[in-house]
Amino acid sequence: MTAMRWKTMIAALLTCLLVGGCGIQAPSEPAGNTCTISISCATILNKLDDLTQGKQALVPADGWLLEPTQVEFNEGESVFHILRRTCKQQMIHMEFEDTPIYNSAYIEGIGNLYEFDCGELSGWKYRVNGRFPNYGCSQYPVQSGDVIEWLYTCDLGADVGGGESQ
Amino acid sequence: MRSRDAFSACHPVVNLVYFTLVLLFSMCWMHPACLGISLAGATACVFVLRGGTTLGKSLLRLLPIALLAAVVNPAFNHEGVTILTYLPGGNPLTLESILFGLASAGMLMAVLLWFSCTTCVMTSDKWVYLFGRVIPALSLVLSMTLRFVPKFRQQFQIVRETLPEDGGVLRRMRTLVTVFSIVVTWSLENAVETADSMKSRGYGLPGRTAFSIYRMDSRDKRMLIWLGACALCLGSGWLLGGADWRYYPAINGASVAPTTVGFWCVYLALCFTPVVLCWREERTWNLLQSKI
Repeated sequence: MTAMRWKTMIAALLTCLLVGGCGIQAPSEPAGNTCTISISCATILNKLDDLTQGKQALVPADGWLLEPTQVEFNEGESVFHILRRTCKQQMIHMEFEDTPIYNSAYIEGIGNLYEFDCGELSGWKYRVNGRFPNYGCSQYPVQSGDVIEWLYTCDLGADVGGGESQ
Repeated sequence: MRSRDAFSACHPVVNLVYFTLVLLFSMCWMHPACLGISLAGATACVFVLRGGTTLGKSLLRLLPIALLAAVVNPAFNHEGVTILTYLPGGNPLTLESILFGLASAGMLMAVLLWFSCTTCVMTSDKWVYLFGRVIPALSLVLSMTLRFVPKFRQQFQIVRETLPEDGGVLRRMRTLVTVFSIVVTWSLENAVETADSMKSRGYGLPGRTAFSIYRMDSRDKRMLIWLGACALCLGSGWLLGGADWRYYPAINGASVAPTTVGFWCVYLALCFTPVVLCWREERTWNLLQSKI
C-alpha cells in the first residue's frame, strides 16, 4: 500500500517537473534573420567620479561592454529578447524588471552597471538604426538588418543624443 | 536585592554604554568576521543572561526568519559579477546576492539576540534612573512602552478568562475581538492613570531627588574605562577600514592582516565582556564556597 502511494507520488512529481520544465524552456534556437547589437557605457568614462564606489573596475577602458556583434533571431522577436539571449550567450550580467501583464520589460542594469549608479539621471536606453524609439524594448519588433545599440546615459539621454523629444 | 548576574548588577550607565556600542557596531558592520563575532557574542550572552531554555526558544523562532531573509534576497536582487545560473524568471542568480542574503540574516539574528539581552538587563527602573531627571517625560514613556507588551498580554489573559470559550470558530473569533477591544481601552486608560499617579507623587518636579540603589563603585569605573578604550580602539579601526566590506558588485573588503585581526580581537573581547564577567564571578563564588 505504502509502496503504491510512493510510486504515485513520484509519478506526480515527475509529471509536475516535466510540465514545469516545458513551461520555462529557453527560447528556441534562432535562425534566418540577423541584426547587430552593441552595448556601450562610454558616457561613464568622463564621469567616473560620480559612479557608485566600487564599480569603477566594471567600466571597460573603451566603454564597450559588447562591441557591435552580428546575432541571429527569429521573426517577431523584440529588442528585449535579443538583448537577453545575447547577454546570456556572452556571459554578460543583465537584470530586468518584468511585468508580463503589460508585456513590459525594463532594463535595470547591464554588466552590474545599474540605473542611478552614475547620478540620478542615469540608466540604460536603446537606439535602433540611429533612432530612439522611446518605448519599452519588449514592444519593439526587430527587422532583419537592424542595428541595435544599448547606451548608458548619465543625463536622461541628452548625452547620447536622445533628449526628451528626439 | 541581589541581581541574577554580575553584568545586570553593574551600574546602569555601564549597561547602557555597553548595549549602545554593541548594537551600533552590529548594525553598521557587514564584514563577515564582525558578523560572526557579534552573533557568537549575542548567543553566548543570551545563554548566560537568560538561560539555555530561552536561548533555544528564541533561536527556534529566529532561525526561520533568518532563513527567509537569506532566501528572499537572491530571489529579488540579482546584482553581482558571479553568475551561478539563471532563475526561471530569466534574471541571473548571483553568488554575491546569496552571500549578502546570508550576511543580512546573520545580522538580523545578532541584533535581535542583542535586543533580547537588552530588555533583560535594562529593566524599567534602570531607564527611569538614567533619564528620570534629565528627560522625565521621555523616560516614563520609555519605561511604560517597554512594559506595555508583557502587561498587555497578561491583561489579555485575565479578560479572556472571564468570557465564554465555547462555540464555533466565528463565535470564538468575535470573542477574541471583544477581548482585544476591552484590553486596548483598558491600556489607554491605564496609561493615563499611571501618568496622573506619577504626577500626583511629584515625579519630575525640579529639585526632587529619587531613590535609587545604584552606586558607582570601583568595578563600574573600571568597566567604563574598559568600554571607553574599546570604543576608541574600534572607532579608530572603523575609520581606518577594519570593518570595510563590499558585497556588490564583487566581494571585496578588509582581508586578514595583523591590524585587522587585532581589531577583530578587540571586538571579540567587547562582545564577550558580560560572559567573562559572569564567568569570573561564578568562579570566585565557587572558590570562596569551597574554602568554607
